[in-house]
Amino acid sequence: MLIRTILIAGAFALAVVPAQAQSVDKAPPGGAYKKVSELVKLPDFLPGMGTLYVDPKTLPAGPFLAYDHDGRLASTIYMIPVEDIQGQKTFDNLKAAGGNVDHVDMYYNAGHPGVEKPHYHIVLWHVSKADEARVAK
Amino acid sequence: MLARRTLLRAGGWAAGLALIGLPAAAPAAAVVEIRMRGNADGSKVWFDPIGVLVEPGQTIRWINIDPGNAHTSTAYHPANAGHPLRIPEGAAPWNSDYLLPEQSFELSLTTAGVYDYFCIPHEEAGMAGRLVVGRPQGSLSAATLPEPARRLLPSPEEIVRRKAVRATP
Repeated sequence: MLIRTILIAGAFALAVVPAQAQSVDKAPPGGAYKKVSELVKLPDFLPGMGTLYVDPKTLPAGPFLAYDHDGRLASTIYMIPVEDIQGQKTFDNLKAAGGNVDHVDMYYNAGHPGVEKPHYHIVLWHVSKADEARVAK
Repeated sequence: MLARRTLLRAGGWAAGLALIGLPAAAPAAAVVEIRMRGNADGSKVWFDPIGVLVEPGQTIRWINIDPGNAHTSTAYHPANAGHPLRIPEGAAPWNSDYLLPEQSFELSLTTAGVYDYFCIPHEEAGMAGRLVVGRPQGSLSAATLPEPARRLLPSPEEIVRRKAVRATP
């Protein structure tokens, strides 16, 4: 009876929580994700974004997973080069592993190691506007 | 050309010597500091000042004060990934490599002339700077400059007249 209950509870949990979200809610995410500051020369924590992880095979678009100081997922970020937007390039089936999205920001970035060309950050926030403060600095 | 990469802030050497009881030698001329800056969302990046007049042999220090980015000071020279030559003929090129926040790089240039340099990850965004050492020797063609830098860099004459030119993008 106990085993049957546990199995039912486990199946229910798998049904309501996306499998990918289980592995990326806390840093470090599993799988092919690597810490960006270990791939290129950038600070561990980037004010306004947090600590970033990315699967190098997905550069430059990402997704980048951004965590706060306590290792909680704050946002999923895509970095789209301006020249690709101007060239009307299609980005299809970008992964969205981070679960529920509260709101979205888009803003221009002049570049940084890893994505040297001017690009746009498209930020899917998994926290409220007020909780963006967790990665402000 | 002499170059040094360091984590010390301005005055760090003098403070260190004072701590161990040694007098710090007075520099021949004040160190010229160029700050590598960026705004909060990374949409603007720039050298501050963008144009500086220095004396031959004077120390120039670049320091990254942008908390969310890495920057370089890299001479326009074929030795740096095939970039056009935009420093005096015979002068040695330099490349600071990536500087994280608070890191700095020092250099002294002895050949008089005009030197153009850029930041590797931000060249396309127009992050470039110009040094005039001594007095300009002839004029520089803008033809080999990327368009954003062409718009932003002050003329050697303006740099000589104002000694330091600031330009916030």
